[in-house]
Amino acid sequence: MKNLSRRTVLRGALKGAGVGVALPFLNCFLDDSGKAFAGTGQRLPMRFGTWIWGCGFIPELWIPASTGTDYELPAHLLPLEPYRDRLALLSGFDVKLDGVPNKPHITGCFGLRTGIPVPDSNVKAPTIDVLVSDAIGRNTRFKSLEISTSGIQRSYSYRSAGSPNPSEISPIALYERIFGEGFQDPGAASFKPDTQDMIHHSVLSAVSDDRHRLMNVVGAEDRARLDEFFTSIRQLEQQIALQLEPPAPIENFVKPDAPPQLTLDSEMGNVMETHRIMAGLLAKALQCNQTRVFNVLFSDTTSNLRRPGTTTTHHTLTHEEPLDPELGHQREVAWFARESMVAWREFLDELAGIPEGDGTLLDNCLVLAHSDCSIAKAHAVEGIPTMIAGGGGLLRTGVHLAGKGDPISRVGLTVQQAMGLQVERWGSLSMETNRTITELLS
Amino acid sequence: MIVARSVLPSCMTRKIRLSVCFSIASICLAGALNGCNSADETLAEPTPVGGPPLMRRLTESQYRATIADIFSAEIPIAARFERGVRADGLLAIGTSEAGMSPFSIEQYDAAARSVASAVVSEQWRKQLVPCRPQSETVFDEGCATAFVEHYAPRLMRRTLSTQELQPYIELVRRGHRQLDNFYEGLKFALIGMMMSPEFLLRIENTEPDTEMPGLYQLDDFSRATRLSYFLTNSTPDSELLRAAAAGELKTREGLAGQVDRLIASPRFEDGVRAFFTDMLEFELFDDLAKDPVIYPAFNSQVAAEAQEQILLTITDQLIGRNADYRDLFITRDTYLTRDLGIVYRLPVATRKGWEKSEFPQDTGRAGIHTTIGFLALHSHPGRSSPTLRGKAIREVFLCQEVPDPPPNVNFSVVQEPTSTNMPTARDRLEEHRTQAACAGCHKIMDPLGLTLENFDGLGAYRTRENGAPIDSSGSLDGTEFNTAEGLAQALHDHPETPRCLVEKMYRFAVGRDTVWEERPYMDYLVKMFEAESYRVPELMRTIVLSRNFFAISGVRQYGGEFQNAGLNIPMEETP
Amino acid sequence: MQLLYATNWDVPGMTRKFPLFRAARWSALLAAGQLTAAQAGPAFLQDGEAGFVVSHIEYALSDDAELNGACPSGMTGGLQEIFAASPGGKRGPDESDEQYVARVQKGTRTLSTTSDGRALCMHPEAGQPDPYFRTVQRSDIAVFGIDLDGEISNSDSKKHGTCAHDDFSGRNGEPGIDNQFYRVVGCSRSFQSTGMSNSFSTEMLTGSWGILLRLRGVDDIANDDDVEVGLYYNTDPIKLSPGREPLAYASYIADSDSRFRGETRGRISNGVLTTEPVDVRFRHVVNSMVLERFLRDARLQVTLSEQGELEGYLSGYTPVEAMYDQQFGYRNGKTGSGELAPLKLRSGSATGAAFVLGHTCNGAYYALLEHADGHPDPATGECTSISTQYRIRAIPAFVLEDTDSPESLNPVVAGTAQ
Repeated sequence: MKNLSRRTVLRGALKGAGVGVALPFLNCFLDDSGKAFAGTGQRLPMRFGTWIWGCGFIPELWIPASTGTDYELPAHLLPLEPYRDRLALLSGFDVKLDGVPNKPHITGCFGLRTGIPVPDSNVKAPTIDVLVSDAIGRNTRFKSLEISTSGIQRSYSYRSAGSPNPSEISPIALYERIFGEGFQDPGAASFKPDTQDMIHHSVLSAVSDDRHRLMNVVGAEDRARLDEFFTSIRQLEQQIALQLEPPAPIENFVKPDAPPQLTLDSEMGNVMETHRIMAGLLAKALQCNQTRVFNVLFSDTTSNLRRPGTTTTHHTLTHEEPLDPELGHQREVAWFARESMVAWREFLDELAGIPEGDGTLLDNCLVLAHSDCSIAKAHAVEGIPTMIAGGGGLLRTGVHLAGKGDPISRVGLTVQQAMGLQVERWGSLSMETNRTITELLS
Repeated sequence: MIVARSVLPSCMTRKIRLSVCFSIASICLAGALNGCNSADETLAEPTPVGGPPLMRRLTESQYRATIADIFSAEIPIAARFERGVRADGLLAIGTSEAGMSPFSIEQYDAAARSVASAVVSEQWRKQLVPCRPQSETVFDEGCATAFVEHYAPRLMRRTLSTQELQPYIELVRRGHRQLDNFYEGLKFALIGMMMSPEFLLRIENTEPDTEMPGLYQLDDFSRATRLSYFLTNSTPDSELLRAAAAGELKTREGLAGQVDRLIASPRFEDGVRAFFTDMLEFELFDDLAKDPVIYPAFNSQVAAEAQEQILLTITDQLIGRNADYRDLFITRDTYLTRDLGIVYRLPVATRKGWEKSEFPQDTGRAGIHTTIGFLALHSHPGRSSPTLRGKAIREVFLCQEVPDPPPNVNFSVVQEPTSTNMPTARDRLEEHRTQAACAGCHKIMDPLGLTLENFDGLGAYRTRENGAPIDSSGSLDGTEFNTAEGLAQALHDHPETPRCLVEKMYRFAVGRDTVWEERPYMDYLVKMFEAESYRVPELMRTIVLSRNFFAISGVRQYGGEFQNAGLNIPMEETP
Repeated sequence: MQLLYATNWDVPGMTRKFPLFRAARWSALLAAGQLTAAQAGPAFLQDGEAGFVVSHIEYALSDDAELNGACPSGMTGGLQEIFAASPGGKRGPDESDEQYVARVQKGTRTLSTTSDGRALCMHPEAGQPDPYFRTVQRSDIAVFGIDLDGEISNSDSKKHGTCAHDDFSGRNGEPGIDNQFYRVVGCSRSFQSTGMSNSFSTEMLTGSWGILLRLRGVDDIANDDDVEVGLYYNTDPIKLSPGREPLAYASYIADSDSRFRGETRGRISNGVLTTEPVDVRFRHVVNSMVLERFLRDARLQVTLSEQGELEGYLSGYTPVEAMYDQQFGYRNGKTGSGELAPLKLRSGSATGAAFVLGHTCNGAYYALLEHADGHPDPATGECTSISTQYRIRAIPAFVLEDTDSPESLNPVVAGTAQ
């Protein structure tokens, strides 16, 4: 029993799988004081991030032929084989335009991130990362961190039209921002429990006070049901009590060295290197709780990536390169699409490389990776490729789901709910939805 | 946890026993009918029988309607509700049996926090907080008390003693102290009320029946609650609570006044919709999948609109036109959206939303059982199913339960829908009808479903399957026909059609299966329904005005003196 | 479920595998539209009326130049190639990627700008005919299309000023095919089957624009001497299945603006409908700008199947200026609300398209002028329009008029959001 991780418990609770879990069972996870978890003795925070790559994908090289868990990884996802069980692949979810003109590479990206199609960058609602950081980013030094790795000062994190959260494009600047002046030894930070949590806890205790009276007014059959009711209330109390405990001390944290000077341009090799280093810094920042929310722009939505020795960018190629009659797709474009997945794997490597609790940092991150379109040459916003990584047991991974043309706002809604946001309905017009992707929950 | 409630042998769900299936269907059904039709001919209500007091969970739609009624329809409810449990054919009965998992408590807690935060927010407090505190930072006991006095009785559907209100006032005080904000205190007191079992569960309280010694009856507030959720699918409004507090629901006139008021109100439609949503098993749409290659016109929007199409037809017919319930099986009037128009192959001018339409005569489409909300729901993902449709007609509209198929049946034939030897479902099902183990029950289901074979697995009209012409002849308990219209008329004329509605409606209203002793009462309701020309609002009125509606069976005890029926629940507080 | 849109026809002689661009599966698509055998007439025909929505459209061209040898002197060169061929256009031995990219950008910008600093795409007449813009000179190749002028002409047979041109032969060897637009674009890489320019129907399938057809007075779908034919702009987005294929029997409202309504008569013989000429105009969208697609004296020549699918040609003459605007220059591009789009958007889109698709705006403009074969200016004798043919497919639909809209029940009916 001692080996069961905290995540196992919470996973059960969150999925509704712990139906009827009795109190004695829960008690074995608590240490002698009955307050904190055994093992690390502390709780670990959940983080949220987005990872964007530009110009979509080659569908037949990316979408698995079957859905569910037994799918075969298509060629462009092969680099992600090590993370197969930690990824949920989402295909066939659409940004619904509702007659809004499709601004290439913009409408799809913001449609996915705000649940509302817009013909330009004037978003009509905060992007999903901002919604999440409002909920979980209150108590960290940075509410969120944005990085862009292809030399372009752009960000798709917006609180409202005209107020993007700007990206760092230089690893050195990112290092200075996080680990330079103002950086405190994470071990020394003092903890103050959230007073909202404290009073919430006492409200539930007060509800339990009614137990005795009510147990006496119902029949024997209903008494068992009422008992379950109060047991469930008690379990929720325990969850909240956890929030009143200080977070886990940072294990294995070593302040990183300053990164070297790099060539910051859009040549693929340089971008990969910049991305690796910035991802590593970001992972360290997450590890020592400098932030809980991040946005990575690997390549811009009009991807300016290019191969060494060539002058045509990824984006231009999507429009210019003829289909290869043998392959049936654009050969060069496919190269960029596949390399983007290699970069995504390398990003996950950085998160998974940091041990945390009895797992890794990736276990305590939920990362939403997506592009801005599906087929870039057509600027199609139907079926934008999307993935969820990590998820800390909050969402099911190791699965491929086909959206069958459902609004992509279902993804954003589900992710917010998994992150504990109390949102029941999200998006507008045809993208307004209250339909959680339940396949991701069970 | 699900508690299977022990009830006495039920006559009302006539299980078509396997042995019975082997006999000729029509005879077996006729026999079953007679067994339950033995009441006398008068229209006086028989002596009440009643059932046990219940503890019912609010359904999601009830929870939402309740919050909308007590606060405002615009207050957001940020939670995901657990699925309902279907018991004895109804979710309404499941509410009396379903447990309360940690997940659902977590979601109720989330809902409570979102509602409470909105209620005390600057946007809403002027309208929803019934007093102004002297200042946000000073504890105002008078205002705290006024707030709790205002909402506690509404949320718990009864008056509370000063002593019972005190803990909530205390929560305002504590919240205010810790957060230094009076409205935050109100917020947490409200969360406390909304997490009370007395809000989330409809715990019925009983008292001895003064007129019928030995019997018990629901107390005033439990009456108001049962009445209100049945007729309006929502919480008692303040007028109903007032009448309950004044004891008016115990007088025939007082009760009738309230009932007529509620039936005349716009909220009555919600009660009717809730019943039919339950009866028609619409929650199955959550799991409905169709093969997108075979049925390209199906999507989640179509699934949602298919349900609404039936509900609009029902409310239009039964409330708007006060039509005969049985007309639901023959009407060609309907409502369409653009997406539905694609499936029905009918023009829809309205861009967004609904327009009135009519099914053309030549497709034989008539009645709610020929809309895709029935046809697609009771089909396979890639093909129609005469068997599933026949079974659903038996179970949903005629209250006849068909047993599960015997084990080790060879289904390979029927699962090969493109077989060239057997191009149509009729050909393939012939196999079952000639196998002794299957024949009995398939004879009961298939002849019904086969008449709907002109509608494919989504419900679109067709005349051929795999190139072969479709023979849509069939029969229902002795009546033969060869079109879907024939089935429609046969369902309209079937004696079980109104009886089944009466039974389901009553069981929906009281949240439990009927018991053996209630047979005469059910016969009474059926006769009244007939006498009222099968008007559903009248039937609902008859039910709630009957003495049996509030009666509690004498065999059970109430108040603190319940016998422990084998379950040993420790009563001491958990440490 | 795969995502793209079925847009391409199989071109004979080409072995291509485009899993995403599979031809529409008519069987599945029209499963819902099978004949209701017992009833009179096919399901798509009600009281002599049948509506259709165009589900596929592309320019009727020919096989790729590589295959039919239409361009023996090479393909059209784009801005980059022109720059590279210019003095100093080659990359220097020590030049870095960045330096060369910057120089190419500067060079191509110069090439797409007039001497007084205006965008050539907005003022193509200010430029020169472009020798790098190659057109199809041969006429002995089989092209898609129909005979529009009823004559088998060649450039020697008519005097200058009477729109002399060489006809092509058709796919089945029939003579007299008027398809001068193919001449103009046949040597452009972006108009080959692997290119991007002839897949403009993508925006139609994402709901940005659409075309409706309506037949009235049809007594017999195989042979009928006189039917009314309407060609309308579709004001509603096309309805697609989750597999992105157009759905039959959806309802659409035709544009009420008479500019976007063409009405004519036609006859059906042996299942082929041919109409009298009529001017038609549709909208389409490029880079979020609304443009107009115009055909003068357009005629429809399509086969009509029992399942209610139309397939064939929509052909006519596009005024040169209109063709330049709809395909190359976007000079009259409008915003969604109908105003002229910002110059930066129009000019940037056209210049960007030229860069990416591999042509110059002035080259395209002068090529169109050179090959114009219709509507001679009575004063000058110059041809003002160019024969333009589209291959189309259409599936059954309900084509409704604005006035058909009944009172919406929206206020009454709530709670159906997903």
